[in-house]
Amino acid sequence: MRRLSYFVAEAVMNIRINRATTVIAVATMAFTLICFGVFLLLYVNLKEVAGSLQNEIKVVVYLADDPSSQGATDWQRRLKAEPEVASVVYISKEQALAEFRAQFPSEQHLLDGLGENPLPASLVLAIAAPFRSSHAVKRLSERLSAVPGVAQVQYSQDWIENLAAVVRYFELGALAVGAVLSVASMTIIANTIRLTLYARKDEIEIMRLIGATRTFINVPYLLEGAMLGTLGGALSLAMLKGGFEFVKLQLASPGRFWGMPSGLNFLPVQLSVLILLAGLVLGCAGSLVSVRELRKPR
Amino acid sequence: MIQLFHVSKYYEKRPALLDITLQIEKGEFVVLLGPSGAGKTTLLKLISCAETPDEGQILVQNRNIARLRPSDVPYLRRTMGLVFQDFKLLPKKNVFENVALPLMVQGATLFEIRKKVTEALKAVGIEQKKDSRPAMLSAGEQQRVCIARAIVNTPIILLADEPTGNLDDTLAAEIVDLFKAINQRGTTVLIATHNRHVIGQVNGRLVSLNEGKLSREYEPVG
Repeated sequence: MRRLSYFVAEAVMNIRINRATTVIAVATMAFTLICFGVFLLLYVNLKEVAGSLQNEIKVVVYLADDPSSQGATDWQRRLKAEPEVASVVYISKEQALAEFRAQFPSEQHLLDGLGENPLPASLVLAIAAPFRSSHAVKRLSERLSAVPGVAQVQYSQDWIENLAAVVRYFELGALAVGAVLSVASMTIIANTIRLTLYARKDEIEIMRLIGATRTFINVPYLLEGAMLGTLGGALSLAMLKGGFEFVKLQLASPGRFWGMPSGLNFLPVQLSVLILLAGLVLGCAGSLVSVRELRKPR
Repeated sequence: MIQLFHVSKYYEKRPALLDITLQIEKGEFVVLLGPSGAGKTTLLKLISCAETPDEGQILVQNRNIARLRPSDVPYLRRTMGLVFQDFKLLPKKNVFENVALPLMVQGATLFEIRKKVTEALKAVGIEQKKDSRPAMLSAGEQQRVCIARAIVNTPIILLADEPTGNLDDTLAAEIVDLFKAINQRGTTVLIATHNRHVIGQVNGRLVSLNEGKLSREYEPVG
């Protein structure tokens, strides 16, 4: 316990004495972790969007004729019997027209000019969870297209799949950026500690001569690296949160943003802790690189 | 206590020590005499494991230092006290903290540290300066702090490299008296010096080094 307090006191003293290099190291660590954090934020939110869109996959079956009330019920029953279909909503020609008028009030003159309601009756199918893949939806669509009375089948799977691919690219990008930035920040921490070590070369020599073990000499420097890294991590989280709230405020608009019901999300607790831990580990690793240079045969 | 058998040490192929054979018994007071560059510091470095011999064997407390694992060296050093001409005090720590360092390193309790540091500071007559930083002390006072640090963990061997080099004759005499007192408590003392005034004060064995070779040995007088 006494040793631990000695180590902590030494690490804090190092940080206080080398204020300028400490500030540079913490700022650089924070900057690199911010870059990594931005990638994580984009990844988390895109994944959220892709996930929510995936859950809302709809297949729209446009009918060639305007069915009677009984005909609509028959269509509903028939389509509900398909294993891929979770639910069916029938939209009559009149309902379609009413929805169009409600959604595009300024474009009403287009329909007025036509006289007759040009919009077809349709059935909107929600897809059951096990079939929410490009393949399954495509197969269903092809099957339904061949059914007599069906004019057209539409679904939005393709661009949802594309979005999922983008999310995967972001995942890979975050990993690559994370790796590059980790090496960069580790190097910076290593150099900061190295400066401290050079400044205290004589002191380290004295410690050796009075019988200090390598661990006793190194631990304060490892702690110093851990402190710098954690400080950098905390600073990056604070700045990420600030930046995130600013962007969220700027993008706040009535209704949904990119189909997300709850708007943008900040990093979950686990990822925030991960950033702090990344700072700590990178700081320690940087110190380790430097103190290894202290190795002498005796 | 300390045994050297045909020890040689070279720096860039130039011999710093050549074929030294020397035995120092437990409780002895030995003065290593010689001009600058004679190899005195090298000899002390070898004994304190700061260097390894190129030829020959060195036994310290019956342990062959050439065969010591690097991780064992700190533990051997804890049985030695080292005093340097340039004091080697940590400038950012006060006198108490400097003297406490060898005990901290060994994991002594706070109670032990307080007790032993106070005793060591009293022994060298500098307890009233315990809160001062080294820069605020005179050369003589700094050397006393260095000696206090060397004796605080009651070492078996005390090695001093030119301990009076930065001091005037009066202060040098006081420092030598301190070493004599330490020796009387049973510690083996080895002082390297080129100061011939020290010789007159010491009632111990004189070993003379010249150009890396052991030139003469004088037995204790008086």
